[in-house]
Amino acid sequence: MTGRYSRILLPFLFIFCSVFSSISASAAERQKFSVCWSIYVGWMPWGFGAEQDIVKKWADKYGIQIDVVQINDYIESINQYTAGKYDGCSMTNMDALTIPAAGNVDSTALIVGDFSNGNDGVVLKNQKDLKAIKGQKVNLVELSVSHYLLARALDSVGLAEKDIQVVNTSDADLVAAFNTKDVTAVVTWNPLLSEILAMPNTNSVFDSAKIPGEIIDLMVVNTKTLQENPKFGKALVGAWYEMMGLMSANSEAGRAARTAMGKASGTDLAGYDAQLASTKMFYLPAEAVAFTNSAQLKTTMQYVAEFSFNHGLLGEGAADATFIGVETPSGIYGNSKNVQLRFDPTFMQLAADGKL
Amino acid sequence: MALIEIRNLWKEYGQQVVLEQLNKTVGEGEFITIVGASGCGKTTFLKMLLGTESVSRGQLLLDGKPLPGEPGPERGIVFQRYSVFPHLSVLGNVMLSLELEKSPLLGRLFGGARKTAEKLAKEMIDAVGLGQAMHKYPHELSGGMQQRLALAQSLIKRPRILLLDEPFGALDPGIRADMHQLVLSLWQEHKLTVFMITHDIKEGFYLGTRLWVFDKCRFDPQAPNAYGAQITYDLPVGQTDGHLLKKSPPRAAEKVPPPLPDKYRRNLWNQVFTNIPCPARVIGLCVCGVGFV
Amino acid sequence: MKKLINRVPGRTARWILGVLPFVLCLVLYLAASNARLAENENDKLLPSFSSFAGAIERMAFTPDKRSGNYLLWQDTASSLWRLSLGLGLSALLALVIGILNGAIPYMRAPLSPFITAISLIPPMAILPILFIVFGLGELAKVMLIVIGIAPFLIRDVQQRALEIPAEQLIKAQTLGANTWQIIVRVLFPQIMPRLLASVRLSLGAAWLFLIAAEAIAATEGLGYRIFLVRRYLAMDVILPYVVWITLLAFLLDYVLRKISRMCYPWFHAQIQTAEN
Repeated sequence: MTGRYSRILLPFLFIFCSVFSSISASAAERQKFSVCWSIYVGWMPWGFGAEQDIVKKWADKYGIQIDVVQINDYIESINQYTAGKYDGCSMTNMDALTIPAAGNVDSTALIVGDFSNGNDGVVLKNQKDLKAIKGQKVNLVELSVSHYLLARALDSVGLAEKDIQVVNTSDADLVAAFNTKDVTAVVTWNPLLSEILAMPNTNSVFDSAKIPGEIIDLMVVNTKTLQENPKFGKALVGAWYEMMGLMSANSEAGRAARTAMGKASGTDLAGYDAQLASTKMFYLPAEAVAFTNSAQLKTTMQYVAEFSFNHGLLGEGAADATFIGVETPSGIYGNSKNVQLRFDPTFMQLAADGKL
Repeated sequence: MALIEIRNLWKEYGQQVVLEQLNKTVGEGEFITIVGASGCGKTTFLKMLLGTESVSRGQLLLDGKPLPGEPGPERGIVFQRYSVFPHLSVLGNVMLSLELEKSPLLGRLFGGARKTAEKLAKEMIDAVGLGQAMHKYPHELSGGMQQRLALAQSLIKRPRILLLDEPFGALDPGIRADMHQLVLSLWQEHKLTVFMITHDIKEGFYLGTRLWVFDKCRFDPQAPNAYGAQITYDLPVGQTDGHLLKKSPPRAAEKVPPPLPDKYRRNLWNQVFTNIPCPARVIGLCVCGVGFV
Repeated sequence: MKKLINRVPGRTARWILGVLPFVLCLVLYLAASNARLAENENDKLLPSFSSFAGAIERMAFTPDKRSGNYLLWQDTASSLWRLSLGLGLSALLALVIGILNGAIPYMRAPLSPFITAISLIPPMAILPILFIVFGLGELAKVMLIVIGIAPFLIRDVQQRALEIPAEQLIKAQTLGANTWQIIVRVLFPQIMPRLLASVRLSLGAAWLFLIAAEAIAATEGLGYRIFLVRRYLAMDVILPYVVWITLLAFLLDYVLRKISRMCYPWFHAQIQTAEN
C-alpha cells in the first residue's frame, strides 16, 4: 500500500529535492558520484558489487567516491536520473532514448551489459499461435520494452497495433491479473514471464530471442559528467568487469556470487541461472565492444526510434523518428545536430585491453 | 371501569430496586401530576406506561389487559426536548400521524387524501395557536412553540392517554403559564387521561386532579439500592381547577396560581420533603395543598 | 496590543492572506523552473508555463494522432463516470445497510462488528483477490472505490442513525408508525444530509482509489494518463492533470454542498444554531 502511495507522492517530492541538488551539482572536477539501479537479472551485479565493496575498491583506485543506490521502482530510477539526481542509471536502450535523451539530457551508454534473449515474451492463454492475438486485449506495461516487443511481434505476422487493444497494467499486478478471466494475453519480462508460463494453459508465442540484440540493458551515464570526469567512467567499467568475471566463473566463488544475486532478486541460484539462460550477458568486455561496434545496433536503434515516435515518446517537437540523434560506432542514426544518446565503446575497450 | 390498574408493580435492575409495591387505579379523564426527588423512579414509571421499560413484577393493566410492551398510538407522549421532527415543517409534523395511518408503505399522502389530512392538521395547529407558523421548521420556533407543536402532533392521533415528561421544564415562567392553560383546555376537550411528571410542585397542584408523590420510605444506609420508591401520597387536588375551568374558558391573566409567595412555598416544600419523617409528611403536604388551594 | 488570538483580519486582508500561499507556490515553481530551464531548455521536470499551454492544447483541444479522441475529455469522462458510479454505489450501500444497522438491533448485532473489521482492511492489500473476484475491467475499478469507502460510509451512517434522539423514535411509534415507516419517514430523511456530508469527506479517498485503480490496469482515465506519461517524465502533462483533478474534486465537493443546502435547509440551519 505504501508503495502505491509513494508512487503518487514521489514525483512531487523529488521535484523539490532535485531542483536544488542539481543546481549545486555542476562543478567541473568532482569527487563524489552516484548511480542508481533497479532489480533486474542483468543489473543484479550492481547490488552485489556495492555490497562486496568492489565498486568502492575501483573508486578508491581512481581517487573518487561512487554511491550505488538501489531504487525499487524502475521508472522512478530513470526519472530521478533524468532529473539530475544521479550521474548514472541502469536502463534499457529504448527507455534511454525516450526518457533522458528525449528530455535533452545527453546520455552515454557506458556499459552494454547484455541483451534480452528470451527474457521478454508474449503469452497467450489457451492458444499456441501468435496470430490468434488479433482482436484480443493485451495487458502489458504500456510504452515499455514489452510494448516494443509486442509491436515487433505483431509486425512479424503482418498485424498492427490497431488489431489489438493495449491495456496498461502495472507490472506489480500483472501476475495476479493474469489469473482473472478478463486477461487472455500479456507481454512481460522475467521473472514475471516464467511465473506466468508456469501456470496451466499458457503458451509463449513470441519472445525476445526472436529479435536478438534489440532489447539491450545498459548502464547509462550523463555525457557531460563523463567527459569532465573520465575517472568516473573508468571506475564503473573496471568494477563491472571484475563483477562479470566473478559471476561467470564456474567456481565456488562464482556460484556464491550468483546465489547472492539470486537471493537479492527474490529467487535462488537455480532461478537466477534460469533467468541468465535467457539473457545474453557480455561477460567479456571484448564481446560488448564487438556488439556495440556492429552495424546492427544502428538498425536496432532505428526500429526503437520509429516505434517511440509512433507512440509520441520523442516529445512534441519531434517531426519524425529521426528527431533525436543516436550516435553509434557505425554512424549516427537521425539528426546529427541533436545527438542525445551515444553508444561509446571507449571505456569498455580500455577494459578489454586491460588498461584500467 | 378503571382505565389503568397498577397491581403490586415492581421495577428492579438486578440488585437495584427502583420502584416497589405500587398499587393504584386510574379512571378515564383523570389528570395525574407526579412529583418527587430526582432519581426516585418517576421517569421510570412513565416509561413503563409508555412501554419502553418492562415491568419486573406485578401488573400494569390498560382496560384490564397488560399494557403493550412498546410505544403505541393509544399513548401520546411529549418529552422535555426532541419531541418534534426537525426535518418536517409544523404542518408536516402534525400531519405525520395521519399520513402514517393512511399510507402504510410510503408514509406519505398525495392529492385529495393529502388535502383532507392538511385540513385536519391545520385545525389542530390553529387550536394550539401555531396558525401563523404553519410552514416553519422546528428550529425556527421558540421552545414554547415547539412544545405546542409536540402537543398538537400527539393529540391529532387522538390518544386515550397523554404522557408528559416535564414538558415545560425548559420554558420561561411566563410561557409556562400559557402552556398550562393550553394543556388544561386540551385535556378537557379531548377527554384525555394525563400523566405528567413535573419538578414544579406549584404546577403539580395547579394542573392535576390527583397529585402523586414518589419517594423512598425505607432506606438502608448499608445498601442504598435495596429499597425502591413508592407512591407515598395520592392527593385529590384538582377539583377546584375543574370547577374554575367549567366557569369560564381560561385566560392568560387568570391562570397564574394565586396566593402563597414563591419563596414561602419552596421553603415549605423543602421542609416537607427533607426534614420531616415519612408519616409526618402527609400532614405537611396536606397543609401545603390546602394552603395552596 | 491585543492578544494574537483576538486579532482578526478584515475582509480584504483575509482574501489576500488566502491567496498568498498559492502565489508563493507559483513563484517558487517559476523560480525553480527557470533555474532548471536555464541549464537545459528541454528540461522535463519543471516545464515552463508555455509548455503547459502546449500540453493542454494538445491534450484538450487537438484530436489524438492515433485514436482521434480528445484525450483530456475522454480521460475526464471515464474517470468521472467511474468515480460517480463508485461513490453512488457506496452511498446507496451505506444508506441501506447503515440505516438498517442503526434502526434494527438484530441487523446491527451480526453486521456491525463485521463491517468494522472490513473497513479496517486496506483495500490495496487485497488487490489480487479483488482481481480474481471482479476481473480487471470497469467493474474492478468501481469496486475498488466501493470497497475503499463504503465501509466507512456505512459505519458513519449507522453512527448518525444511532445519534438520532430515541425520543423521536418513541414519538413516531406513539404516532402509529411501524418499523418500515420509521425508517422511511424519520430516519431516511434525517440521514440524507448527513450522508452527503460524509460522502464529501470521503471524496479524497475515492479519488485516491480511483487513481490507484487506473494505475493498475486501464486504457483511459485521468490516473491512467498520469501513470502512462510518467514513463517519459512528461510533467508538462502531469501537472495540468493534477490541477485539473484538484479542480474537479473541488467542484464535486461544491456541488454536493449546494445540493445538501438546497434539499435540507433545516439540517444546515440546525448546525448553525448549534454552532451559535
